[in-house]
Amino acid sequence: MSEVDLYNGLFSACAILIVVFSLMVVLARNPVRSTLLLIMSFLPTSLVYVMLKAPFVGILQVLVYAGAIMMLFTFVVMMVNPRPEEGELGHLRGADPVGTRLVHWNVLGALAVAGVVLVTLVRKAAESLPVGAEHPAEFGELSSISRMIFENPMENPLTVSFELISFLVLVGIIAAINFSRRDPSQKKGTP
Amino acid sequence: MLDFNLANCLTLAVIVFLTGCYGLLTRRSLVMILLSVEVMLNGVNFTLIAFNHFLWGTHEFGHYLYMLSIGVAAAEAAIGLGMTIVFFRNYRDISRERASRLSEGEL
Repeated sequence: MSEVDLYNGLFSACAILIVVFSLMVVLARNPVRSTLLLIMSFLPTSLVYVMLKAPFVGILQVLVYAGAIMMLFTFVVMMVNPRPEEGELGHLRGADPVGTRLVHWNVLGALAVAGVVLVTLVRKAAESLPVGAEHPAEFGELSSISRMIFENPMENPLTVSFELISFLVLVGIIAAINFSRRDPSQKKGTP
Repeated sequence: MLDFNLANCLTLAVIVFLTGCYGLLTRRSLVMILLSVEVMLNGVNFTLIAFNHFLWGTHEFGHYLYMLSIGVAAAEAAIGLGMTIVFFRNYRDISRERASRLSEGEL
């Protein structure tokens, strides 16, 4: 079995897993299950990243995305404890079931049309592009990425924008803390 | 068996993105809407890495954009989930129908 066959087989298996898990995330009725399925869909994604010569990005996908952001989601889902049937459009309380089902099918139809158009365009565009780039030896590894971002920092625009991202995350943390603080004028014990 | 090339990678990304769109438009709870946005972001990140591998060869700009993207995603998740918790504390309900009737007051 040649290397190309191995890559094709691995990519096919990962693609099927990613699509199936993503669909199950959207369709699962229980939010806890959705969150855990999204973590499951990130694992084959990170394997494909490694195959795309991006090992550091694959590690980030597992550590940061699946490990940190999704855990945040899991905690919030367990905190607010939404009822499992709340996710279903067809189970709206007091709503016309035929009407909501119609909305459901309309969304599905619109997305199917968009999907067919987009996939056709994308495949046509991808075939006309000059594919087959040569990669340097350390392509995608941490040393190469950090050299690209932090080399010659006084004149490198990537350094500045990378450091600015840390400010964005800091602002996000401050905003989240500010949201979760209770109003001091409210009486204790009231929600 | 699918070939491991740019066209198939982009097709996979489009499918994942549209799956997220479907969840965004049909799910009712705010947490599930945020989760669908994460699925869409996953599809977009996939295109960045695929383009970088198949087209740009010499530099890792796509990997860099991916890092910026997960930074933004982390901030978005923190703020969005914080808002969801405040919303739940005030209204005991995180459905999107309740969120569209904010002017009606608490509980």
